[in-house]
Amino acid sequence: MTDYAMTDGNNKLLIDVGSTYFKISTLDAIEQHFRDFNKGILDDLMAKCGETISRFGKQDIHVCSSANGGLSTLIIGVTNSFSLKYATSIAFNSGINIIDTILYQNIEDYSLPSDLIDVVIIVGGADTHSDLFSDSLYSYLKQLDYSNIVYVGTARDAPRIRENIKDVVVLPNIIDDRLHIVEEHLKAYLTNLYQQDIEGKEDIKHLYDITDNQIFPTPYIVNKALPMIDAKFSVTDPFILLDIGGATTDIHYSKDLVEDNIVTENEYDRLVFKRLGVYKSKQSLIFAAQSNEFVYELLTHLKVTENIFNEQNDKATKVLMQLAIFLVLCKMSHHGKSFINLKLLAINSIVLTGGITKVLTVEEIEIIIAFFYKKILTSDHNPVTVLDSNYDIWTLGAGGNQ
Amino acid sequence: MKVVTGVVGNDIHVVANRLIDLSLQARGYEVFNLGVNTHLEEFFDAAVETGADALVISSLNGEAEGWGREVRLLKANYKTLDDLVMMIGGNLVVGSGNTEDIVARYKNYGFDLVCHQVDLNTGLDSLAAFLEERSQS
Repeated sequence: MTDYAMTDGNNKLLIDVGSTYFKISTLDAIEQHFRDFNKGILDDLMAKCGETISRFGKQDIHVCSSANGGLSTLIIGVTNSFSLKYATSIAFNSGINIIDTILYQNIEDYSLPSDLIDVVIIVGGADTHSDLFSDSLYSYLKQLDYSNIVYVGTARDAPRIRENIKDVVVLPNIIDDRLHIVEEHLKAYLTNLYQQDIEGKEDIKHLYDITDNQIFPTPYIVNKALPMIDAKFSVTDPFILLDIGGATTDIHYSKDLVEDNIVTENEYDRLVFKRLGVYKSKQSLIFAAQSNEFVYELLTHLKVTENIFNEQNDKATKVLMQLAIFLVLCKMSHHGKSFINLKLLAINSIVLTGGITKVLTVEEIEIIIAFFYKKILTSDHNPVTVLDSNYDIWTLGAGGNQ
Repeated sequence: MKVVTGVVGNDIHVVANRLIDLSLQARGYEVFNLGVNTHLEEFFDAAVETGADALVISSLNGEAEGWGREVRLLKANYKTLDDLVMMIGGNLVVGSGNTEDIVARYKNYGFDLVCHQVDLNTGLDSLAAFLEERSQS
């Protein structure tokens, strides 16, 4: 494979393996392929792009992926406004998709998750506080099925946590003495866990046969690209970036759009809607659409009926993607009840990336955005739509991550 | 002694907030300042995260009146805040009003100490006296 390996440091091969597509990028071109689910990921990749891949050495191939489904995470924290909110924000920014939370004071009221949890995060308290956790935590954990557990709360409670929880990893507190967020340690831990998860998954771990570099979560790579977005696009801050994928929809947003108490150096944060996609999560997207009181009006506006949900053609795919944009905007507004509400009237640009850019035109997207602002926010606000149709944002992030 | 402070609601009177922060620090308190535009739930949550002894809420635009009504209800959701000293000060009504009525109203909302248009040092003296009295009881 390495006979023709290129050694020029700038000449890298970037590969993104998604739940539906994979794409590869060289200095010269970008290729995109629909995945063949009858084949293993590496076999499929080599069948379609083997010639390109063989031109590069393992050290020059960088892979990111969201195809392993991500890590399931349970966060146990002592308040909604600080510990749970901070840990959730760090987890999202680390590329984690599945997050459940428990407010510690009510832990006895929560039912036990039936599935195996990949990682449990325990958090709470500034370092000057202590004795936040007691037997109710340890009893709950004894009944829980989890693979990893990490403590990122007050340093004063760390010895007792170590005594009572087997194999717990203790990291520095994510809440500092001014009640501000400290992200780096937990973020590094979670992205490393993501890599270990990939290494442990039969199908995707074979990607390490073609690369010597760490495989990062795709949303982590996209988030890293955003401060550099000006290099490729004419985007005016504050903006949001929507990545509507096959299984999930990611939103990356300028921090200026949020009124909250998180003081961080991050310029952009991420949020994910885990069952909102146009391929693997198609049925839950349709269910969400049918539950939205404005969707039927939107379908009429698009000159289709709800029968479109049963169709399998290009038009149906387009409408599903348009609905996904609308639903995501609804969820981010005060109309929805998500982890965070954005000041949507302050948005100057809406950037779209991912497979959606290959299906919808700017005009088809603008119809939806205008409908949303008119119907939900009763406003004529009109942010500029920017399509990342050549995956420049991902390339920027993957290249910048080296 | 740990104190959580901040300006409640949609109130951006940052200078007063900073003065309260500095004055509390000068008196030896460990201060957690949430700044301006702080929601009531954030005050209580900060008290949980820090193990605060007292909550010192300020309001200059009179908005506290609306928020104050929710104090008792919201605080009842927390299982560890029964001993938290609740203090509010500043300009506590929109327009004018009788101080005695205002103080009684806020105490009814669940505040232990109410300082309507009271000098900062006088207010903080009353906090010190209250905490001292409580520690001896």
